[in-house]
Amino acid sequence: MFIDDEPRGVFFLIDNKSFYASCEAIQRGYNPLKVPLVVLSEARNTNGGLILATSPEAKRLFHLTANVSRKRDLPRDPRLQVVPPRMNLYIQRNVQINNIFTRFAAEDDVWPYSIDESILDMTHSWRLFGNSPREVARLIQKTVRQELGLYTTVGIGDNPVQAKIALDVYAKHMHDLIDEIHYETISEKIWTINELTEVWGIGKRTAKHLRRLKIHNMYELAHTNPYLLKQKMGVIGTQLFATAWGVDRSRLSYKPITKSASIGNSQVLPRDYQKQIEIETVIKEIGEQVAARLRHHNKLTKCLSLDIGFSYAATDEDGRDGFHHALSIDPTNNDHEITRQLLFLFRKNWEGQAVRNIAVYSSRLIANTGQQLDLFSSLDRQAKNEKLSYVIDEIHKRFGFTKLVYATSLTKGGTAIERAKLVGGHNGGNSYE
Amino acid sequence: MSKDLEVIYSRTELLFKRISRTQYWIQVANDPYDRSYNFFFNSQRKGERLKSVPLHRVDNYDLKYLEQLIAELRKKTSLTIRFIGFTTLRWPKTQKLIQWKRDKLE
Repeated sequence: MFIDDEPRGVFFLIDNKSFYASCEAIQRGYNPLKVPLVVLSEARNTNGGLILATSPEAKRLFHLTANVSRKRDLPRDPRLQVVPPRMNLYIQRNVQINNIFTRFAAEDDVWPYSIDESILDMTHSWRLFGNSPREVARLIQKTVRQELGLYTTVGIGDNPVQAKIALDVYAKHMHDLIDEIHYETISEKIWTINELTEVWGIGKRTAKHLRRLKIHNMYELAHTNPYLLKQKMGVIGTQLFATAWGVDRSRLSYKPITKSASIGNSQVLPRDYQKQIEIETVIKEIGEQVAARLRHHNKLTKCLSLDIGFSYAATDEDGRDGFHHALSIDPTNNDHEITRQLLFLFRKNWEGQAVRNIAVYSSRLIANTGQQLDLFSSLDRQAKNEKLSYVIDEIHKRFGFTKLVYATSLTKGGTAIERAKLVGGHNGGNSYE
Repeated sequence: MSKDLEVIYSRTELLFKRISRTQYWIQVANDPYDRSYNFFFNSQRKGERLKSVPLHRVDNYDLKYLEQLIAELRKKTSLTIRFIGFTTLRWPKTQKLIQWKRDKLE
């Protein structure tokens, strides 16, 4: 059999049931499975409010979907509890959970996959904790529930992709929230999946592409001609074919080498910005943020790019939905120099459209090994300017970002102060301490 | 006034908007996992969704301290205080039950 040559281990993929909602339920003394609760972010740029998480009971009662949806989609029902997010709390819980996992597998075998999912390579350690992988999974579930109150779902597989599919498609529907896929059960577990988008790595677009190739379910995907698939979809086609056979040759410990790193930030504005001065304020703020991150990593950038997205109305008028331009510059990580170049890019390309998205990226990074002086300004000044940025960084680090900002951030358009409270775009939970 | 009381009371004042047909109350949850008492400010307009905003976390996991804190809080505000996760526990001083009935969502 072909599987004799495939890598084979014992992998667990563990996720938390409605993670944010469960954390909030436990904080309030409720059982995460019983309380109908949603976590709603009302950050200013969410256009009313964004539902980040829905507890299982709320999903059942009100037929809410798991995907991020809007506040306007929420039913007006007195049974439903609405709570604000606290991202710092969830990060703390994630760390605690992964600490529990390291009791069951070596630290090097626990791989956080997202804020509420981790991959555990249990190949070498599961025998220490039970007679079967399922028994060990049960024990992990119990430990997490006992120590943190959270319910976890476990997918078990011979490799990570099998574990992931077991988790996504089966485990959440099982009574004990555990399910397994092995090479021997591929035909009954993977090929029977009729909805392509349920499978890891297949989204709406890929599913559409596959349908055009007359592939409508996993059985058909597994029995198509892989060479044809590669011809039509490139290397992703091969990968999908491998997924359909439950094959995954990835080595988790392999660290891919980043060919060209980049550092950048982007944001959606809370409303349409029309005035040049307001837009430029935000561009400056993001530029300074990117510069600060460059300095933190001790890098210089040789290429800056500015991405501007227009508002829906401006898109209709203009025909384009924005513009994107890049600029080669002398290596720098200086606030002033970076914002100057960004504003140059902006002024050259902007023709008065209303703006909703702004992104700034710096790429072609090189190590900061020393300052390149130029001949056209005084040496003293140049050296001092360089130092100034580092002093500002130091103050930010020691006293917090909002303690020292440019006065423009206080004008109407500025977003930096408001955003300093956010973690991953949502309330970090500062209201807590 | 203790620091905990100050934080809880000042945040309550900001959130207590006294809108008509709206219930306001303070929820105190016993969190055995974190060994803390969590305070929340809840409000609900008639027929609408319940809104629950975190007020504070009291890390001093001691019922005696909580009893004193609640007593002082009651002097400053007449908002209802609901307890959750305290079933079978009694206040150390008065020996009264803290929470009469287990919440069905617990």
